[in-house]
Amino acid sequence: MLPEAYPFVEDSFSRFPSQSNIYGLCQAGQQELLAATLKGKVVCFRYQELQHKIRPVAKEVQFTYIPVDAEIVSIDAFTKSPPKRGLVVGITFVKDSGDKATPFLNIYCDYEPGSEFNLESIAQSCLNLELQFTPFHLYHTEVQSEDEGRETVFLLSGHDQRIHLYKENSSLHQFEEQPVERLFPELEDLPSNVLWLDMLSVAGGRRLSAFGCQNGCVGLAQVSQTEPEVLQSWRFQFDSPISSVLLFPLSCPSGEEGVEIKSYNLLVTSTIEMAVVYRDVQARGLSRSVCLSESDQWDAVLCALVIDLDFDGQKEVLLGTYGQELLCYKFQPAGTGREDEFQLQWRRSFKSPLLSLIYLDLTGDGLRELAVLTLKGLHILQHTLPSTADLVLKRLALRVSALTAGSDLQSANEPDTEGDEAPAREEECASQTSS
Amino acid sequence: MRSVNYVQRVSLDFSGTLFPHAICLGDADNDSLNELVVGDTNGKLFVYKNDDSKPWVTRTCVGMLTCVAVGDVCNKGRNFVVAVGAEGWFHLFDLTAASASKSDSSSQHEFMSPDDQKPLFTQHIPANTKVILISDIDGDGRNELVVGYTDRVVRAFRWEEPTEGSETGTGQLVLLKKWLLEGQVDSLSVNPGPEGLPELMVSQPGCGYAILLCSWTQQDSCSSGEEAPPTPGSEGPSRDVVLHLSTGRIHNKNVSTHLIGSISKGSKEESSKCGLFALCTLDGTLKLMDSSEQLLWSVQVDHQLFALQKLDVTGDGREEVVACAWDGQTYIIDHNRTAVRFQFDENVNAFCAGQYTCKEGKNSPCLVYVSFNHKIYIYWKVELERMESSNMLRVLEDNPEFKERLKLLGVDTEDPAAVRAAVTNVLYNDLHT
Repeated sequence: MLPEAYPFVEDSFSRFPSQSNIYGLCQAGQQELLAATLKGKVVCFRYQELQHKIRPVAKEVQFTYIPVDAEIVSIDAFTKSPPKRGLVVGITFVKDSGDKATPFLNIYCDYEPGSEFNLESIAQSCLNLELQFTPFHLYHTEVQSEDEGRETVFLLSGHDQRIHLYKENSSLHQFEEQPVERLFPELEDLPSNVLWLDMLSVAGGRRLSAFGCQNGCVGLAQVSQTEPEVLQSWRFQFDSPISSVLLFPLSCPSGEEGVEIKSYNLLVTSTIEMAVVYRDVQARGLSRSVCLSESDQWDAVLCALVIDLDFDGQKEVLLGTYGQELLCYKFQPAGTGREDEFQLQWRRSFKSPLLSLIYLDLTGDGLRELAVLTLKGLHILQHTLPSTADLVLKRLALRVSALTAGSDLQSANEPDTEGDEAPAREEECASQTSS
Repeated sequence: MRSVNYVQRVSLDFSGTLFPHAICLGDADNDSLNELVVGDTNGKLFVYKNDDSKPWVTRTCVGMLTCVAVGDVCNKGRNFVVAVGAEGWFHLFDLTAASASKSDSSSQHEFMSPDDQKPLFTQHIPANTKVILISDIDGDGRNELVVGYTDRVVRAFRWEEPTEGSETGTGQLVLLKKWLLEGQVDSLSVNPGPEGLPELMVSQPGCGYAILLCSWTQQDSCSSGEEAPPTPGSEGPSRDVVLHLSTGRIHNKNVSTHLIGSISKGSKEESSKCGLFALCTLDGTLKLMDSSEQLLWSVQVDHQLFALQKLDVTGDGREEVVACAWDGQTYIIDHNRTAVRFQFDENVNAFCAGQYTCKEGKNSPCLVYVSFNHKIYIYWKVELERMESSNMLRVLEDNPEFKERLKLLGVDTEDPAAVRAAVTNVLYNDLHT
């Protein structure tokens, strides 16, 4: 484990007035974060450009209809699926006025043309829904229905062992609870309270859907989106509550030279046991597991993220623990005499427990930053700029040489300096800019 | 204000209590790596080395230690450790030998003779010491020892030996001059004046400072003149003390003030003339000035600043001003008034900043906090890539190759969105998601 492999420098830290929790951070729009703290305050974090300087700004947003005695449980936000436009923010909280605690879900969304993305005005237009259950994880996902096209909906798990669906009623311009079974048949008859869920659209109009429960049960299902119909489902029982589940693709070289096999994997973090990655879940379900060694050494793992940190095209697994450590694991494909494994590459200590991780471009330069929510506030970790800038220059040079070599030769021959990577990159370039 | 969190720290055991000036960083054993020297109120002197939580060397002094320093006070080309007690006992330690004996035979150091533990030299100087400085204050190339007292007096001493090359123990401190100030002296510092000659500066209450003139140098220069030079120590306080009261709004004329001079500007030539110095007060005023009395910036914070240091955290050769408050809030401010904040999570008994060899066998900038619960915390990784937030495009903006290559790839370099998309694309080939 190399200490110098840690690629980040801390750019800023914003201290919050009260603590947050594992459901307390979400991305709102392109370059903004919303963080909810226990005592009813929501902070919007972004970088502001002023006089040719950028500086971090953490500003409280006054979301309406959150009473002073409210304690925020979870927050989530999404941009509506096209052709609709606008930002939707959901906040669940418990209003504890002494005798009886009442849970609520507030959904904020502005329909006024021109202010659909204005956070200040969104915060003023609220739909207030009283809940019959204590809310947990507020999640959003896109559904594809035949008659209505693509639409993003809220899914909220509760202590009533159910997951509730909130979908926009287009005619009323309003979100309403709808039966979850119709669109999400895999979320019927849950074994316990769901603490975390994750979904991923895969090829062929299908969806992978995973959830982790308080009693340690992990559920995974492959669903056909159009009918909706559960094609396959798996369950596995752990010994401790599941803190997060995360579906992610990973490509690894196959036997043939230069051919990569992409597979979908499921990361499961539990509060006592080691974190586990289930490999190739589409084909093998929950049968092929790889443990992330030492991940149980720093108390419970509370949050996880799978991103490409070192720009090599291969994703790394990040785990944040209650023991104030951020761990980074790198995938090592099976070689001679050894199985696939995830190796601990580096770890970094923080001053308080880690609650949530998001990787996004806050500074508006194309390079993403890692936002780490801890019990005390929000850390923004930025890639070390000089070395990353060198990498950008180097890769641009490779592309330029690939381009010129390609036009010079006018043939399918691969340029010598480049290896076999460049043509693939060019294609990616074209498809990326269009997306 | 930008705020950062330092995490990498070591904690050292320290069970005593100390005065705010009884802590310093310096090369105590002349191995070119810095140690931490701490003196407590019971007269114990501790020297900490590396990340070892136990003191490397412990020495016993007479009285209550109020100030410690590391420097070439004897002008012998190597450092000694100086510890001065409130009662006026001056102790000189040579720890070069301690280093040698420890490394030679670690098993034998327990049998070190009691003589080795004793100070090399002790002398009684006037009591009620508060702060000391080892520096060349008169520009003769030789270091002097300056002592600030709680009774508003500052005295300068020089180490003198009867004959050249004799043993260190045979010399003694000789009083050069005594100055009497109007207000309490909380810090002593040396700063290059407008002509490049060192000036001895002391802080005065209410964000003020005074320059103390070394009249013995005038004695040399104008000895041929008609004016008879005054004998050292006999002159009245008024003529050799040039008081500079602070301009601008000051809420409290008596507020305790700290000062630090000779803040590096990056290059030797620039720093040697018209030096930079900083002032801070307990009611939260911070100022950076140069010796021509020009104010570079002023910052008002709502924390009680009680310690002022300088430290190059960005590694560009320019030293930043570091001020610490009782509640642990620490400000790091550069010459352009760009500030970074760090909150140490405990109340602070004493604070210092400087180069220290903690983990990697080389000096690195460190922040040292003495807490109230028997621990000293050293933050040993406090370097910042830059003082201001930046992003990739700003780093690459001045690079002509970057623009040229983007143009060759057909990216409109004037369109920020297109450049941004190109950077994202180059870094993240994540077609897979």
